[in-house]
Amino acid sequence: MTDRDMNERLLRLNAALDGELDAMASLGFEREMRDDPAFAAEYRRLAALRDAVRRHAPREAAPPALADRIAALAAPTPPVPASQTAAAPETVVPFRRRAWLDRRALAVAASFAILGFAVGAGLTSLRSPSAADAVAQRLVADFARAEIAGQPFDVASSDRHTVKPWLAAHATISAEIADLAQEGFALEGGRIAVVDRVPAPTLVYRKREHLIAVTELPATMAGSRGAGAIETVDGFHVARWSDANLSYVAVSDIDENELAAFAEAFRAAQKPAGESPAR
Amino acid sequence: MSSPIAEQRFREIVPPLLDDAYSLAKWLSQSPTDAEDIVQDAALRALQALSTVSVDRPKPWFLAIVRNAAMTFMARNRRKTVAYAGDLSDLDALDLRQGDDAAPNPEQELIAYEDGERLRQAIAGLPPPFLETLVMRDINGLSYRDIAEATDTPVGTVMSRLARARAMLAKTLRAKA
Repeated sequence: MTDRDMNERLLRLNAALDGELDAMASLGFEREMRDDPAFAAEYRRLAALRDAVRRHAPREAAPPALADRIAALAAPTPPVPASQTAAAPETVVPFRRRAWLDRRALAVAASFAILGFAVGAGLTSLRSPSAADAVAQRLVADFARAEIAGQPFDVASSDRHTVKPWLAAHATISAEIADLAQEGFALEGGRIAVVDRVPAPTLVYRKREHLIAVTELPATMAGSRGAGAIETVDGFHVARWSDANLSYVAVSDIDENELAAFAEAFRAAQKPAGESPAR
Repeated sequence: MSSPIAEQRFREIVPPLLDDAYSLAKWLSQSPTDAEDIVQDAALRALQALSTVSVDRPKPWFLAIVRNAAMTFMARNRRKTVAYAGDLSDLDALDLRQGDDAAPNPEQELIAYEDGERLRQAIAGLPPPFLETLVMRDINGLSYRDIAEATDTPVGTVMSRLARARAMLAKTLRAKA
């Protein structure tokens, strides 16, 4: 048999396997299968390989967070105004927005305009902010920006096992993710905040209509550490606490006591540190 | 900005193809996170394109966009090259003679196929033009004609690449058996 015949034969075997032979070619193929045992054996090996590929390399489901982001690209909601989109950092990807976020965005934007005036005119000019203030300011601004843009997180998922690898792929710190659903704080997703040019994993939890964003920073970063007291920055509440390796900064518009309760629950969920996952 | 018509078409076409798109992107980039970026990029391109085109056969159309997005992504990020560096005609010239290394023992060969991890590695090791053809056929389930459309390649080339991809797989699995 010539090379050319060999090749023809292999193409025919593959085409038969893939259901791509037309009626006449199928006729010839069936005859060959019947008359030539070597041909038939070759066909069976090829079929076994094809079946093995389908069994061991099946089509995979797209991650739910990806499906959400894709759906959001053409979600039937009004688009974010260009001025706000332009302000968003490039890690932000479109997220399916909810009606209440739009209403909140207006309220937050309005209160910000007023606050901005007050802060700009008075407070900040009186003292140069310390490193600690700078970190809090940065994260509060990030929180407000995310709410106004209607994009509280880049990866939307209530599943820690989805959020953690996403954050790990985008930040240098491996995030600790506490499951606080039983305490009434549902994990909604994660995003990356950039503090001092360090990409920092940020977890977003929800209680009722309030979001709480917890950013994890290296404990060595200037101004990251905190003793646990609740501060108020630009009308938002900020809680900070640290362990040996990481500092945690939680920002929210939730009331003080509830933020303190959140911080308490988050810390409790992390103990004992190390092996055991938070619940 | 996309038009309402484009968004409507997008909602009909893209979400049902997401698993196919993600699987193709993951095989081509060999990274789950890169695959997400690629699919997201492809979806954006698709949304833009849908403002001006209507699509008869969505699957090869969208997978072609995913495949091209993967190539752009890999080139930009200097990942393993998707474009084959050598002369493709060498590879496409069908030389499928198995000669002496044809399976001496068909049963052993069948057993080798059942080692899923090795099989996946062997697939991942295929040169990109063969990898994409095999994935589109056996994982995405495209017809020869659809693959030809999605890869912008003549049907004859698709056929020879597929035959060759399978022969290479079999040979790799035999060699390590």
